[in-house]
Amino acid sequence: MTDLLSLILPELILGGAALLLLFMGIGKSVATRKSAAAIALLALIAAFVAAARHASALHGGATLADRYDAIRLYEFGQYFKLLVCAVGILLVLLAWPSSSDAQGNPSLRFGTEASEFLGLMLLSLTGILLTASANDMVLLFLAIELVSLPTYIMVAISRPTAVAQEAAIKYFFIGAMAAAVMLFGFSYLYGTTGTTSLYAFAQMIKENGAIGALNSWQMLAVMAVLLGLTYKIAAFPMHFYAGDVYQGAATPVTAFLAFVPKTAGFVAIIKILFAITAGTWIAPTQIVNLLWIIAALTMTIGNVLGLLQFNIKRLLAYSSIAHSGYMLVGLTALLYAHYAPSLHSSQVANVQNDALRGVLFYLAAYGIANVAAFGVLSLLPAAGAQSPGSSAETLDDVAGTGRSHPILGLTMAVACFSLIGLPLTVGFFGKLFLIVPAWKAQLGGLVIITVINAAISAGYYLRIVGTMFLRPAATVIPSASATSQPPRRAPLAIAVSITLAVLAVLALGIIFPTTQALSHLASRSTALEGSTANALLSTAATPDH
Amino acid sequence: MEYLLVLLVILPLLGAIIGAFVSEGAARIWALMVALAQVVCGIALAAGFDYSAAGDLLAPALAASRVFAIPDIGFSFALNVNAVSMWLTLMTIVLSFVAIWFSFGSIKDRQKEFYAWMLVLMGAMIGVFLARDLLLFYIFFELTLIPMYFIIGIWGGPQKRYAAIKFFLFTFSGSMFTLAGVIYLGIFAGSFSYADVFYYCQHVATAPERFLLLVAMLCGFAVKVPLFPVHTWLPLAHTEAPTGGSVILASVLLKLGTYGILAIALPVGIVGLERSTEVVGAFLYWPITMPGFIKFMGILCVIGILYGALVAWVQQDIKKLVAYSSVSHLGFCVLGLMALNASGMQGSVLYMINHGINTGAMFLVIGMIYDRYHTRDIHELSGLAARMPILAFFWIYFTMASIGLPGTNGFVSEFLSILGAFTSDSLGIIYGVFAAIGVLLGAIYMLHMAAKVIWGPLKATVKHAPGHEDDSGHHAVPGDLNGREIAILVPLALAVFLLGWFPQPVMQSMKGPLDALTSTATYANPDIARATPAPTLPNPVQVAQAEQP
Repeated sequence: MTDLLSLILPELILGGAALLLLFMGIGKSVATRKSAAAIALLALIAAFVAAARHASALHGGATLADRYDAIRLYEFGQYFKLLVCAVGILLVLLAWPSSSDAQGNPSLRFGTEASEFLGLMLLSLTGILLTASANDMVLLFLAIELVSLPTYIMVAISRPTAVAQEAAIKYFFIGAMAAAVMLFGFSYLYGTTGTTSLYAFAQMIKENGAIGALNSWQMLAVMAVLLGLTYKIAAFPMHFYAGDVYQGAATPVTAFLAFVPKTAGFVAIIKILFAITAGTWIAPTQIVNLLWIIAALTMTIGNVLGLLQFNIKRLLAYSSIAHSGYMLVGLTALLYAHYAPSLHSSQVANVQNDALRGVLFYLAAYGIANVAAFGVLSLLPAAGAQSPGSSAETLDDVAGTGRSHPILGLTMAVACFSLIGLPLTVGFFGKLFLIVPAWKAQLGGLVIITVINAAISAGYYLRIVGTMFLRPAATVIPSASATSQPPRRAPLAIAVSITLAVLAVLALGIIFPTTQALSHLASRSTALEGSTANALLSTAATPDH
Repeated sequence: MEYLLVLLVILPLLGAIIGAFVSEGAARIWALMVALAQVVCGIALAAGFDYSAAGDLLAPALAASRVFAIPDIGFSFALNVNAVSMWLTLMTIVLSFVAIWFSFGSIKDRQKEFYAWMLVLMGAMIGVFLARDLLLFYIFFELTLIPMYFIIGIWGGPQKRYAAIKFFLFTFSGSMFTLAGVIYLGIFAGSFSYADVFYYCQHVATAPERFLLLVAMLCGFAVKVPLFPVHTWLPLAHTEAPTGGSVILASVLLKLGTYGILAIALPVGIVGLERSTEVVGAFLYWPITMPGFIKFMGILCVIGILYGALVAWVQQDIKKLVAYSSVSHLGFCVLGLMALNASGMQGSVLYMINHGINTGAMFLVIGMIYDRYHTRDIHELSGLAARMPILAFFWIYFTMASIGLPGTNGFVSEFLSILGAFTSDSLGIIYGVFAAIGVLLGAIYMLHMAAKVIWGPLKATVKHAPGHEDDSGHHAVPGDLNGREIAILVPLALAVFLLGWFPQPVMQSMKGPLDALTSTATYANPDIARATPAPTLPNPVQVAQAEQP
């Protein structure tokens, strides 16, 4: 028992803090709301420390599991935990209730529900941590849904407008459908093997000599699970909700939505792929081809639709779809490496490692730049009369702000350049680490599609930068402009969050040793295949049927 | 020497960051000081340079590369210099200095930002010439986009936003393919260092593979140059940019493309390739051979030369005229490279330097006219010689250099490029003939403009655009050039004279690196290559292993 508790210590800290915050929601005083944010922040820091301790204990390929093998820790999940806690800290700072009545901040208006809001935020982050630890399909499913369920409420209470309610309803119904499809897939996986344990499943695949060849029920199941997970990562064919939902939610919540469910989705996809390939990353060719197509379509749809947008949040929603596409290129390379015609067999493991590293690195690169972009957006005022808790939404809102708010403008420019993938930002190395394995796996076609997409994406990111710096401010009706003037000073918490994010974007792009350090951390966490995988599989608990 | 190179790249970038903290009024002085320090560094570089060394692109990188590196992917901060990159670096420094100094008179708002971007641009451009790591080259190559985007977009003319975005998207789209090629090379060559990359291309890669890589490289470089079908961003960007930006754009940024072709695309795609009719690729169902592809590039250059010249002829806006003349001139430059022989290459590199000086000077003079008359319309300007004799002198002087009159620098490079095309195995006489027609057209459109603007009846059109007062406030009748403007033009005029009469030292110093290209280009000189086998490059992998104890 104590064994289990120590394994899920970061989750316990976050979950406990979340429950405490939900309980504190009963109190309606300003002091309660103010302290809620501090508690959330402390909990995340504590969880980060706990996860870091696990990570150092697991260094070198060790693995820790509980008696029922529902929770299994190894280096792979730790990278995500550290990343999620770190970005989570930035996201909590973005949502800091800094107004005088502590009912929100310039872009967020949760009223008296500050404690509940932050509690839900922590619950969602707990879900990712559990996803990273889970070794059981049921637990994996519950963990993924724990990521999503709080976000539905967060969207709804993030600001008192009808669009937020509409977004929440849309998000919830499509999410519920995706969850059902995914659960359906899990049930077939269980039905064909009689086990819910991912490692037991992998072992069975291996012992039956069925690596790279699933039976048709299992294929159906994997398709269903992948379909459900494309909703989480906002990839084709379940990407269409992103525009409406991202636009409807308050800006800090949109930042949350763009990073947190996506990360959980990628963790889950990698875990599922690990199980069905028995850690060899040799999947049936149909699945590889499917991933290829999904990756190409996701990038292209995201970027082309992004070009058509005039609402920045909607634009960033489509860009978020495109970034999922880039990461799917890494996953395609991961699975395709085995089939690459002229790749020497001794190189395959190397390429697979690179591919996984690329995905992990890109998640970090995207997460940081994403916080910076949405953070700036949340501080810029919307033009004209607006409901409380609203910030800049459309391109017209930000016209000329590069001049009136030079620091915010430069921050947005850095974030956009990083999302484009220009050199001297972390985004450049993110793209580099994804294209390298794709070339190595001889996915020339996909590389070409990726670079064309990167060029298309420059079109709409530049539109943001161009509107901020090159366009004069839109003429505002005088009466409205008085109320929509931004506060002279940005709230401290948001300022800290944006500053940290933009410094990280630049440092990881310019100071190459730090880039190297992050890439090391990521590549250490990819040691899932080969000997490590064998060791894992040999110690995996036997299926208890 | 080593630290001088690092200093040349880092100093302007640091200067830009520090410049963001000085006061608005002092920003321009600070930028000029940094540029002056760069000039000093440049002189030290030229003084300390070993002119006798062959200095090819494969010289080892310097110590800083060990500090800033990402060994995971074979990337290092490797800088070095050979004669070609040294002359281009010197040109960059001088023209950046001149552009910054000129902007004192014409940039009135948001000065701090302007000079910071100018310094960033300077550092990035020098980085391109000094990089000895393909990824580092690419990083600097792309980094030039951001400052130029802001310089055009904020301080440009009426269509600045459209021009800035078009400039960015064109060049970025092209160079994304270059990035794909760069990463491919980095992976399969083992590292991004030039030595490894070129060794891989010339000794390991198959001919079709090299051809695809060549195309990938050319996608980025041809847009930057720009060659004929992808040149459409250039006239707009040049015309809309503020004068300082136009100078940098025309003089240096375009040379990043030609330098890329010379230093990257040729060694990657062509050097060392056996002359053969082996099919290296296919366009639809037409087989492509390497000689055919080079001829195709030559045709693009010739079309660019003639088309640019003809379009320049009919321009009303003198700035646009000079912009289109750049399309024409850069056609000569790439034609010389595609000739793949010694005279063509020498002419081409000289062309890069000379075009930088001449066109930079032309844009400066146009800026000086515009600051006074607030118009660039060829019909509204007339008879300037009567009112501004000094300006008229410089104008005619640089026009002659641009046309390529014997005795000016333009003549030497134009002559060598065309000679290269005439005598080339890869191109041929017909290319030389058409290029020579381009020279003729060049004389026509330049003289046409000079005649209208400098001579003819004096027109007293003076528009006072708001925010465009010249240094000494409003003048009813604009005066001639002031001391600062003359001081800006004199060094360029001197360079025109020196490079026109004494090009030999420069050409001699570049012989080493260019011979290293052409002598291993068995493709270009089959007879020489058969007589003397191409020097085999040491396999860097084996060398590295041998050095291991």
